[in-house]
Amino acid sequence: MSKPALMSLHQALRKSFQTLEGNQKVWKSVLADCSPLMGSLGNLAEQSRALSNVQISNTPLRDFPDLEERLRFKLSQATDTVLGKLNEKTSSLQSVRDSISNQVSAVFQLYEQNTDSLDLLAVTERSATAPSVSDMLEWLQDAERHYRQQFLRRKTLLLTLRADDLSLLESAPKRWKSLECPGAEDHITDTLCKVSFFTESQ
Amino acid sequence: MSLRLLSVDPSDRGSQRCRLGPGLMSALGLGLGSPLLVSVPGGSCLCTAWPRPDLAEGFLQMDLKCSSPGVVSHPPTHLNLDPDQLTPVPCPKLKGVKITVVVQGVDFKKLTPPGLVHELVKDMLKGVHVHEKHVINLENFDTEIRYVVIESINPDSASAGFITSKTCVEIVGIQTLRHYRSQLQHQQIVPLGGLEEVSASLREMLQLPLLYPGALRSLGVSCPRGVLLVGPPGVGKTLLVRRVVGEVGASLVVVRGPEVVGSRPGESEEKLRAVFERARSAAEEGPCVLFLDELDSLCPRRSGSSAPENRLVAQLLTLMDGMKRSDSFLIVGATNRPDSLDPALRRPGRFDREVIIGAPTLRQRTAILSVLCARMPVCPSVDMAELAQRTTGYVGADLSALCREAAMHAIRGSSKGSGEQTVGVKHFHEALKAVRPSCLRSSLGRTELSPTSWEQIGGLDEVKLKLRQSIEWPMLYPEAFVRLGLCRPRGVLLYGPPGCAKTTLVKAAASTSHCAFLSVGGADLYSPYVGDSEKALAQLFRQARACAPCILFLDEIDSLIGSRSNSQTPNSVQTRLLSVLLNEMDGVGLKTLERRGTEKILQAEVAEENRTQEQSDYQEVCNNNVMVVAATNRPDCLDSALLRPGRLDHIIYVPPPDQQARLCILKMCTKSMPVGADVCLEELAAKTELYSGADLENLCKEAALLALQEENMAASTIRHTYFLRSLGTMSPSLTAQQIQAYQKHPR
Repeated sequence: MSKPALMSLHQALRKSFQTLEGNQKVWKSVLADCSPLMGSLGNLAEQSRALSNVQISNTPLRDFPDLEERLRFKLSQATDTVLGKLNEKTSSLQSVRDSISNQVSAVFQLYEQNTDSLDLLAVTERSATAPSVSDMLEWLQDAERHYRQQFLRRKTLLLTLRADDLSLLESAPKRWKSLECPGAEDHITDTLCKVSFFTESQ
Repeated sequence: MSLRLLSVDPSDRGSQRCRLGPGLMSALGLGLGSPLLVSVPGGSCLCTAWPRPDLAEGFLQMDLKCSSPGVVSHPPTHLNLDPDQLTPVPCPKLKGVKITVVVQGVDFKKLTPPGLVHELVKDMLKGVHVHEKHVINLENFDTEIRYVVIESINPDSASAGFITSKTCVEIVGIQTLRHYRSQLQHQQIVPLGGLEEVSASLREMLQLPLLYPGALRSLGVSCPRGVLLVGPPGVGKTLLVRRVVGEVGASLVVVRGPEVVGSRPGESEEKLRAVFERARSAAEEGPCVLFLDELDSLCPRRSGSSAPENRLVAQLLTLMDGMKRSDSFLIVGATNRPDSLDPALRRPGRFDREVIIGAPTLRQRTAILSVLCARMPVCPSVDMAELAQRTTGYVGADLSALCREAAMHAIRGSSKGSGEQTVGVKHFHEALKAVRPSCLRSSLGRTELSPTSWEQIGGLDEVKLKLRQSIEWPMLYPEAFVRLGLCRPRGVLLYGPPGCAKTTLVKAAASTSHCAFLSVGGADLYSPYVGDSEKALAQLFRQARACAPCILFLDEIDSLIGSRSNSQTPNSVQTRLLSVLLNEMDGVGLKTLERRGTEKILQAEVAEENRTQEQSDYQEVCNNNVMVVAATNRPDCLDSALLRPGRLDHIIYVPPPDQQARLCILKMCTKSMPVGADVCLEELAAKTELYSGADLENLCKEAALLALQEENMAASTIRHTYFLRSLGTMSPSLTAQQIQAYQKHPR
């Protein structure tokens, strides 16, 4: 009697893992696009700092009218452009996160609907080719939590940047890099390997 | 079957999972991810149930993402849980939730727009099971947002729920982590006795601006913002501040002198500014107290040279002046040496109020003792009021040392096998010997007395009665004194020929009344430096007043003080000492720094109240003075100003013993001697006209020595002939002329 429920749950899990795989690739590529942008953000901050440190009236450039204001305007415009691009990237990260979240919660909902017909023995049963349902649900939850956490951290970093605090801007690329969490990312890859037999067995 | 609590698996951190065996899960009727409330000592924790990866039973691992505040501050470890401590709870989807956000730093709180915090928190809380009044730990997101406190949930029919993306999150307030932690800490309150008035006034200053901000603004006044606590060491200044802060729930910023002082020039000032900045930011979240302990080390009197302390003092002054009306924190300074503070500090606008905490009075001591003993297994026969009477001059720290010492004695007693578990009277008496009042420490005239009773002095019944009237009665029958409008005498002068037990009388008086007893002689007071002796005498009086009721004994006062009329050098040390003594005994008033307790005035009609309470009231009012007892054998040398009522009011003549008294003295002296059966003390008493008490004692000694001389160390009794022979070789030390001169001396 629990067979059809289990079957449909397995089907949903398969689909989720496939989405997860696809999304992982997208996430990685988006992040790869972001790092040069962050680098240029840091550069711009450094240039602004250099501009505030120099007294233009003491240099041969003093003949140019309003040079400092113009340069500052240029720099802030460039910063704006970079931040705009980063914003686009963030929204694509968000869509990755949302799609994973939706997928996972859908599977969970399906499980909760069928709780009565699935006893604990059935969901904790493992076989040589397929991990148990509880393990797979757990892994999906872990992956979802990881992406949510990553996204939140990166978003917080970007949202707390302020134009008047140059040191924050300068340190942004370093902090962005430190947010990377290769261990957790590998964990997800591992998970995908573990379920590869299961996903391929139709 | 019990469950062993293990620490959480690193991969589960932040997942709100609770790992149990599948058997237990099905027994409790739980599915994967079902919410589960685990109660542990000190609180509870809401988790979602998951089977362990190895499917083993008998273990429990839980992530404390959502737990009650008590569990957050003290996470449970090494516990064995019972399965019925786990209860499944229904978690419906929530419509709304009200929260307080706890953030790491002040900067984040100030600079981040509220919308952003809201957005972040909402993202973080999505998919979390929450319980009312629990704290959600968000540390694993690694942002500035540390905790979220769930204030209330909607619908409130359930106590727990699940937050979805549709749940409306409302932020009630944002706090910093420091403030939140201090609030959690202040929930345990320190015991404090006997300082009710002072703590009430402090509490008022803290709470007024919070309770009635509008009223104060409309009056156009600002609440006082600086309090200086002054008092001898150990009276509980620091404890008082901590207590009040705990009661009000304010945050406390403590500055200790040495912490602020740095080695580089300018460093100390910088640190001080940072402290004020910290207090300012803490004050934005609620009442705040900036506590400057040992202010005298931080802010000494400025000297003429450009010492580095001067800059620090100047910085403190400017910081205190620069406080804006909006800075609503209270500055409390504490010191035991107010005279060494810079005078610029002690003006309204800086330290508006000065609160003087003196050595505790009788009633305060009773209160302190009962607070201290509240948590000790004290034998019910211990009378706190009696104990308080015996501890004159003890401050709070001394009393707590006393209780500790008594408890140690009790432990030693019970380890020796007496089987007693309570602290009894005898333990307190033992402890009283070991712990001495710190008011009298390093005092000049502190003396160890060997206890002497009135019965050890032969004869002189009239003198004894007078002494008891002036020393013992005010202590024992204060209500009778008040009824008749009597007050305790200020001073007693004992005069009479030498060797007539004047000093012994005073000793007996001191040991029967449980007063503090100070005794000084010339050696203590005289010093080669000009002004030093006077200072020492004034200091002596100050200490004596701090532990009143107190007896101050000046032996051989004629040599100590002298007279102004017949001295050759009008400006000698003696005359200066005399002026100090006259002033201290009957001066204009006390220095403000010596205030103790609150001034009480007794009403004439006293209702039928508690007897003992009343008694202690009288005690407190009547016996707050220092009594000076002086002894001399040259009363004619004393200054007449010293002898008037109000100074040495009772002038008691201690006469040489008459025949009856001599008999008593002889009996007393021969008590420890093996006197032969033929000895007739009456005859000896009759033959020793003009002998003083000291002479009689000497006579007995001589007789005993004679016995040893005659009978070669083997003497077992002293025979009458020895007494008579030694009487023949001795002559009385008094003369009739002398005695007449004493009797002529005008009263």
